[in-house]
Amino acid sequence: MGLVHSCILNVLPNVKLAAVCEKSGMTRRFLRKLFKNARMIDDAEKLSSLDLDAVYVTTPIPSHFAIAKLLYSEGIVQNIFVEKTLASSYEQAKEICMFARRFGGTNMVGYVRRFYVTFNKAKALLEADAIGEVRAFKTYGYSADFAESGETRVGGSRGGVLMDLGCHAIDLALWFFGDLDVETAKINSVSDGGSEDFVHFEVKAKDLEGEFDVSWCKPNYRMPEVGFAISGSKGVLEVNDDFVQLKLRDAKPLRWYRHDLNDNVDFWLGEPEYFREDQHFVNLSLNNGEAEPNFECAAKTDEIIAKVKSKAEENE
Amino acid sequence: MSDVKEKVLLVGDNPFHGISHLSQERSRTRGDDSTLAEQAANLVMISHENGADGFMFSVSDLTLSILRKIKGSGRNVSLDLYPIVPYMYEYVRLANLLGGIPGLARKFARELVTSRNLKAIVYGLDAAARADVTSLTKAYLTYEISRIKSSAGKQANLCSMLLHQSITDMTLALDMDWFFEAYIDFMSNQGMTPGFNTGNFVYLVDKFEAWGLGLDRIIIAAPFNKAGFQMNPSRMECEKILSGIKNPMVIAISIFAAGYLNPSEAIDYIATLPNVKGVAVGVSRENHARDTFKLLKEKLGD
Repeated sequence: MGLVHSCILNVLPNVKLAAVCEKSGMTRRFLRKLFKNARMIDDAEKLSSLDLDAVYVTTPIPSHFAIAKLLYSEGIVQNIFVEKTLASSYEQAKEICMFARRFGGTNMVGYVRRFYVTFNKAKALLEADAIGEVRAFKTYGYSADFAESGETRVGGSRGGVLMDLGCHAIDLALWFFGDLDVETAKINSVSDGGSEDFVHFEVKAKDLEGEFDVSWCKPNYRMPEVGFAISGSKGVLEVNDDFVQLKLRDAKPLRWYRHDLNDNVDFWLGEPEYFREDQHFVNLSLNNGEAEPNFECAAKTDEIIAKVKSKAEENE
Repeated sequence: MSDVKEKVLLVGDNPFHGISHLSQERSRTRGDDSTLAEQAANLVMISHENGADGFMFSVSDLTLSILRKIKGSGRNVSLDLYPIVPYMYEYVRLANLLGGIPGLARKFARELVTSRNLKAIVYGLDAAARADVTSLTKAYLTYEISRIKSSAGKQANLCSMLLHQSITDMTLALDMDWFFEAYIDFMSNQGMTPGFNTGNFVYLVDKFEAWGLGLDRIIIAAPFNKAGFQMNPSRMECEKILSGIKNPMVIAISIFAAGYLNPSEAIDYIATLPNVKGVAVGVSRENHARDTFKLLKEKLGD
């Protein structure tokens, strides 16, 4: 993800890519050829001499905490973007939030699905009470990453399926419905290595029940996909990465694809939402604004993940 | 109407890989039949019989297998080939399975050595020794060209090789004019037209003009459709730049906006665009292949 963000930042007006930090010497040698106008460094501490306005942390999840702490405590930068999840535990996430409150600046976590036109349309429909009082939802996060190979131990470096993919469904659910309590949870592995491959859990909030189903061993999900079916007093709202569908009682369903939702961007790399995400963070950093989702908000996802793991252990 | 009537008509391979840019749900319900090389090869040949000039495809085990099936079919199918490299999806998937870029690099090095392609091996060694991006690219391209030629046989004509959209757009974003120059020179020396698949047509044209790289030496494959889908920054801006460029070889992709538009209205729109020299469309059923290319021939051909 570091490369995608770097490329997009390089085309944004008012942004100069100043430095790239990479531990691997071999990778640095190649990157030096690609990023001719940026400094190439091997240690985040060396960023302190560069008078930076913002830093993107796109390293593996277990290193987010140490890097974010260093950036704040050494006064390297105040505006920080961290790829999801914010940290590898809720305790670490809370500590990063404490630093963010103390040092100020703009902070954001890369929950890119908040920048999908489909999920934005769904959020707008929910806010307009399109399906009336929301009573229940079912959400999924599926990919076929390990559907064929079954080599899910490799996925351990990505933090397990909950941190890798399920976190997007959790973040969107928090965005749509507010705080949630975990009721029951089950985690399964396809291999003996104890990898976290299938996660199913149920949540509750005031007058609302929800169900999550997450797997990276789901055949035919060529690309990772997150989706919701939300039931309300007036009908059902379905949304995923590609479309939004509103089914009101006694009415013909309405469906909107990306095509209908103004999905174009100034520069398209990967998916259009990466551009919107980076543009959002940069604009708010320039104006000392509050980005969404910020660290406080993203820490709630880490809290739910911790609760799911704890509930799953209780249920074993 | 377009100033040039006859256009290059190409079969695209997205349906064979189970790709739908309208919705993943749609690609899942479309079934597995089109992912089989035998059936995909048949669809390409039916398209060819009905007016398709060639095949635009990502280079993967599946598409190489399709080429072998066509070669071995015994039918006289002389296709123009427009491969797109690398097949990013497969490389990202492998990187996930093999533990990231280092694992992927080791796999590629092994494949290079076992290919016994001396030229590619020399480029590869040079790339490793000097951390040279151009040599690495040449090693990779040499390896892929040899795989395509051996799969397609002599009856196919390797017209161009296009850089995948992600690579084109990343190198554009990083202002790597030297990379584009090296790619154009290398491909031209191989007797092929260098091609670039991009999701940022306007940005690419602007950059090429700023760098002084002639657009007349290259092929650009970019989305053009009535819905403005994937036409960044906007349909209007893409149309404006398209109409102003000189001697372009632009191939329109996503012309049906991933099935969002009906074929007739989609093709009528393409016919109004000046400077579009070809189209690539995916087909997933035999009748779909027949009808689509007949319609394309009727509306865009002589």
